Amino acid sequence: MKLVVTDVGKDFLIPVIDRVSFTVDAGEFVCLLGPNGCGKTTLLRIVGGLEPATRGGVTLDGEPIVAGRPLQHKIGVVFQEDRLLPWMTLRDNVALVLRPLGLGARERDAVARRYLGIAGLAGFEDYYPARVSGGMRQRAAIARALAIEPDLLLMDEPFGALDAQNRRIMQREVRRIWRETGRTILFVTHSIEEAVSIGTTLIMLSARPSRIRELIRNDGQAEAAKLVDQLNTMIMEEVERQQGAGPPG
Amino acid sequence: MRRGWAARLHLPTLGVAVLLLALWTALSWRYGAYVLPSPLAVVAGFLEILRSGEIWRHTAASLYRIAIGFGAAVGAGILVALAAFLSRAAREVVHDLLTVLNATSVFVWIVISIIWFGLSNWAPIFTTFMITLPVVASNLVEGVENVDRRLLEMGGVYRLSGRQKFAAIVVPSTLPYLIAGMKVGFGLALKVSVVAEIFGVTSGIGYIMNYSREILATQMVFVWALVMILVMMATDRLVFDALSRRLARWR
Repeated sequence: MKLVVTDVGKDFLIPVIDRVSFTVDAGEFVCLLGPNGCGKTTLLRIVGGLEPATRGGVTLDGEPIVAGRPLQHKIGVVFQEDRLLPWMTLRDNVALVLRPLGLGARERDAVARRYLGIAGLAGFEDYYPARVSGGMRQRAAIARALAIEPDLLLMDEPFGALDAQNRRIMQREVRRIWRETGRTILFVTHSIEEAVSIGTTLIMLSARPSRIRELIRNDGQAEAAKLVDQLNTMIMEEVERQQGAGPPG
Repeated sequence: MRRGWAARLHLPTLGVAVLLLALWTALSWRYGAYVLPSPLAVVAGFLEILRSGEIWRHTAASLYRIAIGFGAAVGAGILVALAAFLSRAAREVVHDLLTVLNATSVFVWIVISIIWFGLSNWAPIFTTFMITLPVVASNLVEGVENVDRRLLEMGGVYRLSGRQKFAAIVVPSTLPYLIAGMKVGFGLALKVSVVAEIFGVTSGIGYIMNYSREILATQMVFVWALVMILVMMATDRLVFDALSRRLARWR
């Protein structure tokens, strides 16, 4: 599995993403960082085929990702909101996305149970989303994304709505799940601490129109605290640059 | 949910009811039974139609016409909402047509249906259909418009087919709007169809009320009004409230 992003750009009236290229190898955990409004989420949506790029292209193992066109490869997405169907139990929510894969009812059920278990929801399979906490709903959304055994897992600030404590717990959980399942993950966040604590590769985008400002291998060589400081300085520079540029348009 | 009758009949309401009954009795003494029959006469009349079975004959006739007219309106409403869901152009046309239908008076449909169908069962049925269709359909169209696009996008990410998205996302999120529309629509159907029954048919609550007036049996007008109220309350409680409770079990 190899994700290749080549010269991708996006305009919404004004250019939001200028030109971004990077690759992600199988099993990597890549975090996309950058100041607010720099197009992190847009970039993730382009990679996921949810939005067309204005320029450039994305391929997954050589297969081009085109918005609105079905893909041979499987991509799981965890959104900022859980996007669970409130009228289905957690188990049925996960089992639903296994339907297009052609699994039988019993198998769907077993797979759903397994991944809910991996996400730490054993015993809550028959709960409706409204009956569990926000953190648990986001765990169920992660279980759903994992259940299709995706070639690529995209996560768009999945813990943005959680309180600090739950956030830290979920970061550890995602890190554990990544190690257990060996999935390739592209993770958008605006929290530098979050990125440094979970990502193996950190991509810092510049202010709008964004390019890659810095690509850092987070292999544990550099001291985490120092890395956080360094990235904080960078993001402050970018924020100032964006504000110095005045309002868009 | 399970509260006793004692708790449901709150005391202030009971007090007001007693006061109104007293006033009613007094007024009926003052103006006579033709203008205002006494409460006792109404109760006696109610027991009489219960004993003779007349209550079932006319209620069934009215409900039969409502079932056809209102049932057809629900069916047509579902088709209209489906069209609105599938095409933006259809949605705009439906919006405009429903606005016109909503603005049309019951009386227009009664007169037209008498011209078209003569003095037959079809007059009240058609009137009921035309009046309840916009209520049911506009509720459903609103429901369809409120389907969470983010959930549909999620369905797309996981490659659910159009049919799977429809069954798993669109139908469940629209169902509460359908039930709400049917609840309002049924109430309206009952009120409208009895008006249409004044003309040309020889059974039904509307017919028998008008007949009672003609033979100067004013107490029977009150009795049949009571029957209408009871039918309305019973369907509300037993059908629609039960349905919406069942739908909301995941909340």
